[in-house]
Amino acid sequence: MSRDGFTGFTRGEARVRTAASTLQFAELGPFSKLARMPWGIVLLIFGVGLVGVAMLFSVGWDPVTQAPSAREAGLWREQLTRLSVGGVLMVLLALLPLGVWARLSWLAYLGVLVLLVLVDFFGIMGGGAARWLKVGPIVLQPSEPAKLAVTLAVASYYQRMMPLNGRSLPLWVHLGALAIILIPAALVFKQPNLSTALALTASGMMIVFFAGIGYRYVLGAILAGIAAVPAIYTFVLEPYQRQRVDTLIAGITGQTTNGLGESYQIEQAKIAIGAGGVSGKGYLQGIQSQQEYVPEQHTDFILTVIAEEFGFIGTVGLLTVFAFLFVWSFRVAARNRSWFGRLATIGATSTIAFFTIFNSGMVLGLLPVLGMPLPLISYGGTALITVMACFGLILSAHLHRDEKMTTHGPI
Amino acid sequence: MSRKTKNADEMFDRRMFMAAGVGGIVWATLVGRLFQLQFLEAERYQDLAEANHVKLVMAPPERGQILDRFGRPLASQRQAGRVSVIPEQMKDPEAVLNRISNLIDLPDTRRERLIEEIRNARRRNAAFLPVIVAQELTFEEFSRMQVHAVEMAGVDVQMASTRSYPRGRDFGHVLGYVARASAEDLDRLTEGLVPEDRRIYQEMFRHPDMRTGRQGMERFAEDWLRGRPGRRRVVANAHGRPLWELEQDPKQAAVPGKDLYITIDAELQRTAIDRFEGESGAAVVIDIENGDVLAMVSTPAFDPNGFVNGISGADYAVLRDDPRAPLYPRAHGGVYPPGSTFKMVVATAALEAGVIKPEDHVRCPGHYRFGNRTWHCWKRGGHGAMNMHNAIKQSCDVYFYEIARRAGVRKIAEVSRKFGFGHTWVLGMTGARGGLVPDPDWKQRVRNEPWFEGETLNFGIGQGQLGTTPLQLALMTARIAATGAPIRPRMIGLGPNDEDDALLDEPLDPAIMERMKAGMYGVTSEGGGTATRSGDLGLGGPRLAGKTGTAQVRRITAEERARGVVRGGDAIARELRDHALFVAYAPADNPKYAISVIVEHGEGGSRTAAPVARDILAAAIRMNSGRTPTYAQRAATTPEPEAGDPA
Repeated sequence: MSRDGFTGFTRGEARVRTAASTLQFAELGPFSKLARMPWGIVLLIFGVGLVGVAMLFSVGWDPVTQAPSAREAGLWREQLTRLSVGGVLMVLLALLPLGVWARLSWLAYLGVLVLLVLVDFFGIMGGGAARWLKVGPIVLQPSEPAKLAVTLAVASYYQRMMPLNGRSLPLWVHLGALAIILIPAALVFKQPNLSTALALTASGMMIVFFAGIGYRYVLGAILAGIAAVPAIYTFVLEPYQRQRVDTLIAGITGQTTNGLGESYQIEQAKIAIGAGGVSGKGYLQGIQSQQEYVPEQHTDFILTVIAEEFGFIGTVGLLTVFAFLFVWSFRVAARNRSWFGRLATIGATSTIAFFTIFNSGMVLGLLPVLGMPLPLISYGGTALITVMACFGLILSAHLHRDEKMTTHGPI
Repeated sequence: MSRKTKNADEMFDRRMFMAAGVGGIVWATLVGRLFQLQFLEAERYQDLAEANHVKLVMAPPERGQILDRFGRPLASQRQAGRVSVIPEQMKDPEAVLNRISNLIDLPDTRRERLIEEIRNARRRNAAFLPVIVAQELTFEEFSRMQVHAVEMAGVDVQMASTRSYPRGRDFGHVLGYVARASAEDLDRLTEGLVPEDRRIYQEMFRHPDMRTGRQGMERFAEDWLRGRPGRRRVVANAHGRPLWELEQDPKQAAVPGKDLYITIDAELQRTAIDRFEGESGAAVVIDIENGDVLAMVSTPAFDPNGFVNGISGADYAVLRDDPRAPLYPRAHGGVYPPGSTFKMVVATAALEAGVIKPEDHVRCPGHYRFGNRTWHCWKRGGHGAMNMHNAIKQSCDVYFYEIARRAGVRKIAEVSRKFGFGHTWVLGMTGARGGLVPDPDWKQRVRNEPWFEGETLNFGIGQGQLGTTPLQLALMTARIAATGAPIRPRMIGLGPNDEDDALLDEPLDPAIMERMKAGMYGVTSEGGGTATRSGDLGLGGPRLAGKTGTAQVRRITAEERARGVVRGGDAIARELRDHALFVAYAPADNPKYAISVIVEHGEGGSRTAAPVARDILAAAIRMNSGRTPTYAQRAATTPEPEAGDPA
């Protein structure tokens, strides 16, 4: 059927046939691409980031003096700078043809692997874990670029392995993909950084799922996962993590939890969220979250500030905006002409979606406290840049949806 | 189009729908949870949030003022600039204090104490309570601090209520002072309270604006002045630090303390202190008609303002080690031998005992032999034949040796007590002393020795073991001037009841008192009187009546007497010179004011003490210090607390 055999899809061809232009989109100049950029989506992403900046301003607000407090006043400005840098980076990355992404994928993957191993040996300790690598003045957290690198590597791997005739893949191919995912995930887990390891694995699994692994394996994996829960709880989790799980179960089943320790944070978060009510107390009026009742209110628990100040309307609005972005990204994946473009978009979207879901679930007391930032909103540099880079990849997949992949893996 | 390719698209779409379905379920779960928390249970969480950050904090009551008899403030609350720090908000307390010390005067010792205090606050988990760095800022300091405080986290500059004594030293010994409650103060204040009240007191006195009376009237009238603390509803942060106020429940408001009026006339007090012209001494003026103490002077004195915010060790040492003893409350706590001012008491005792008649004569050759010893009269050549009137007028010692011996020690001691000697007159002050009226029982008990009759002779001229305070001497004078009428000394005009509310009403024969008054008039107004130069009040007519006295600081040895008595002058070191005393009342024909004056090391009662007493009495008459006090109206209208509510 196909004229070149580089793609297994018909939708793209249909688009090419019906499109007014027969130009190869990948060959367009950067200015034409900028003109075709979905600016509405770009602005929406930037807007969500600005919500984060506004919330950080609120966290640093001193209601007594009606002025920014001395202590946390600078957070919002820092975050605004990062958001601007990230925004420019996102647009620049969107201009990169998918072929370039694919070519770079193995290099990035190997680089991240090396960095992760180096962290194991030379990492800086922080918060009881070795997560940072110091190269001269630059402090690097390799687990953050790992999210993108793994996505790119797995997508690239499937692009190379996918049969030209459209038949489904044999199991061993999927097992190979699993290996690509689990090696860095294991290194990250060992740091220890359970949340990032989980996110890496989960988004990798989503790629494997969309690459067409048989339903029986999916079902088997889910059942095995459920069966492994007690074993993981007993043997894998650290005592403090077990305690968090205990706290969560106690909270959900309505048992009394002592007001201290892990449950204090969750209790205070629930009070802040509930006190917001339907319409919230208004911007800069969130006493409960502003006045240090909720620990980590500027990073992992920033959703409590939104909930208290903007209420049910604000929180549901934010979750809906996120949902819209994810649906749009999935449509980008569905419209892409190459396996690489599709699967890389799936991986990037899943990474952001998992953080959003896990963070909200944790703040709302539905999931154990695992230390996950809320994408685009939580204070923190590397996480923000990584999320913006993931959106850059998704935007690239949108702009280059008709690009024919002429490459098979690494150069 | 191949079927396989179509399969791949279909597979992708199918799985996309599945993922979207799972995503939808997750979204619905999160929204459902939000609906539960923010809609269904919102009210409960709003209550919890309020319980979280609305706290009841202690509102300190405003301390009552202390006013003089005419309503002039002697102790009041004043707004003053203050710098405080909140330990929990400071990253590096030492650096912050160093910066503050560049802006305002902050001695190194104070800074070290503050660092210690901040450390303690952190240890006690009270790091959200302000620690006061400096108070009583000057205007320049206050503005400088306000400009720079915004750059220093945890530093507060504000106006605060602080105790102030506008008349400073004038009332140091009467009013005492307030201070932050120490552990001992708290023990004293909460003695006998139930644990619940004890906790309230402890919380109240932890407040940086709270003070408690440590000395004087401030301590005596503590309950009257303090008022009742209230509760304020404030919004607090997670560390319990108050952020801002909510609307107040009027029932929970602090009840300010009541004002205390004292009987003293602050202007008379001031005039009296000035009149000492820097000499050490004491003066007490009493209104004869009602016992109001109109002036209570002890000089030099300390300034109570220095104690309000805690006096430094160095400053206190200066006061303590000052040889002129500014901390010593001479007027009510200084015990002196009364010397010849005591002779009216001895004469009264002799007349009451009937051992002599007023017109009987005693011959004074200048000395008096008893047993194998010789007692001397102050006049070397002797006074010749003396009746009682002349003996008082000329202060003849020999006459009083004789009548004292005849009356006996027990009679003199009994009459002394009738005049108020030996009793501790507190009148709401601290540091009051009762002195000593010696008698054989006392000597047997304390010294385990029998009484020697020779000691009775010393007693007769107000020397020996006898110890009296200027306040007691003023009371004695007031009783004589009132011709023996009862007198109730008091200094609390409108305030708590004086526990010491003792009426001095032991019967004194008016006829005898008239003789004493005549003698005292002789002293100032008849030829040969010892103080005739000070008899005229200088008001164009009215005179005063009084009695001079000299309190020996050291015994004159026989050797010195043989050499020619040296009783004063430059040959003797100042601190060994005798004290000069004078007691008086005025106007002589219609007594209104009684006074006692002691000028320490003033040597001669007539030369140094009498003019001081004269001028103070003249000032009291001129200023009409004894006129109706302003609180009289209020005292009459203030309803007495009812014993029981009939309803």
